[in-house]
Amino acid sequence: MRLTIWLHEARRAGPAALLAPPAALLLTAAIAMFIQLSGAGHERAERLLLAGLEAVAPLSVAMVALTIVVRETCRELHLSLPTLHLATIGRRLGVLGASTAACCLIYAAGAWLAGYRLGPGGAATLLVWAAPALWLAAFAALVAAVTRSAVLTSSLVALIWLAEQIWATVFVTPALRPLFLFFTSRVGDGPGWAANRIGLLAGGLVLLAATAAVLHRPERLLTEEDA
Amino acid sequence: MTALLAVARYEFRMQARKRSLWIAAVLLGGTLVVLQGDRGPRSLPVGTPAREVMATWALLFSILMPLAYGMLLADRLVRDRRLRVEPLLESLPVGPVARLGGKYLGGVAACGLPGLAALLVAAVTELPKRHDPALLGWALVAFAVVTLPGIAMVAGFALVCPTFLSVPLFRVLFVGYWFWGNMLAPAFLPSLTGTVLTPIGDYAATWLLGSGQTALFAGTPGLLPFLRPDPSGASAALSVAVIVLCGLIPMTAAALAAHRATRQTWPAKA
Repeated sequence: MRLTIWLHEARRAGPAALLAPPAALLLTAAIAMFIQLSGAGHERAERLLLAGLEAVAPLSVAMVALTIVVRETCRELHLSLPTLHLATIGRRLGVLGASTAACCLIYAAGAWLAGYRLGPGGAATLLVWAAPALWLAAFAALVAAVTRSAVLTSSLVALIWLAEQIWATVFVTPALRPLFLFFTSRVGDGPGWAANRIGLLAGGLVLLAATAAVLHRPERLLTEEDA
Repeated sequence: MTALLAVARYEFRMQARKRSLWIAAVLLGGTLVVLQGDRGPRSLPVGTPAREVMATWALLFSILMPLAYGMLLADRLVRDRRLRVEPLLESLPVGPVARLGGKYLGGVAACGLPGLAALLVAAVTELPKRHDPALLGWALVAFAVVTLPGIAMVAGFALVCPTFLSVPLFRVLFVGYWFWGNMLAPAFLPSLTGTVLTPIGDYAATWLLGSGQTALFAGTPGLLPFLRPDPSGASAALSVAVIVLCGLIPMTAAALAAHRATRQTWPAKA
């Protein structure tokens, strides 16, 4: 029964949504392979593969997360059921998290086998993608739950992502460092890396808790702009 | 033609009334104003020519604001399918090509509205400091050659690509492309940055600056050297034409597909 409901929620989240993270990672890997084969250098290909894990994967998870929160065509019907709306959305986000984790682990293992170094190595490599993915996805889910607008939420996610890429030097400063998503690819995994990852994880958990609090009153979601 | 304009007018009114378009545009534009730094237009000395001031503003707004337009239009055609109004629209006397073209023109016009408003507001706020009424005129020119072509390209891809990529995947690829194809230095990774294909309006802004310096990376050596002519008036015009034509490629493909699908299903409907 438990597995059945998880599979059902995976279908409700939609294959198109759940395929976005692996498709984005595959595309990144293909471009990195092209760069390597075109003779642009092992280091450039490695840099791109790392950017795929630390930047592209979190962005795709965030875009899917906001879609899951905003898009529910049977919300009124769902509110009449005894199952909490929060539990349903939580399961769908859980499915997204599990599928993304599997994709990122396969991607990182493949890169490691091919001789690329993505992060500090060992179990800590998990934090290269898990910390920014949790933070950005939780931020997307919170904004989506508050605004009920896919346009606004995706624009804000894009703003955060691009602003941190363009003004990376500003986000490396100690005051903003706990919010910097791309520490590994821009600074490296030396001093400050662990603190940055812990800061992102903690921030992500706080944002998730705030999302849960907003979703606890699902009747607020009935007036989304994009439906 | 009347049908095309009618669809475009309706689409424009519908999109322009979306609060999320305006809120997203204000947030993205506002962020750029705050974070513009020393190279931004506010740091230009008094006495800088009006065309240079407005070119810098137009380029600054082009860095992030088109993201909001892409996000807005990404689910436009997909939504018709999801809400199952497509069969209803097909029953109308307007053909699929006119419907698609009208949605494109209306979408471009609606997305152009916040872009134009941002430039006019920037020009008005610069007036007390620079005392040059030509700022308003150059704001319109900068909008026409820097902002609008980029919107036309973004709109073409944002309307069509999500129909076969899915909306979330398109949004991911769009944001990634925007950074890779417009702002990532060609020396860092092979990219389209600095080519005539950059919808951020690099070539047009460089021509407007007229100071011999590139606005961002226009003409910088890199991947596909034949797409990187030296910045000039001619290369700026070429860039504008190429960017607009690029936006029309997916629209043309979608229009052909829609026309063919209609012809194939017509006997069954009859």
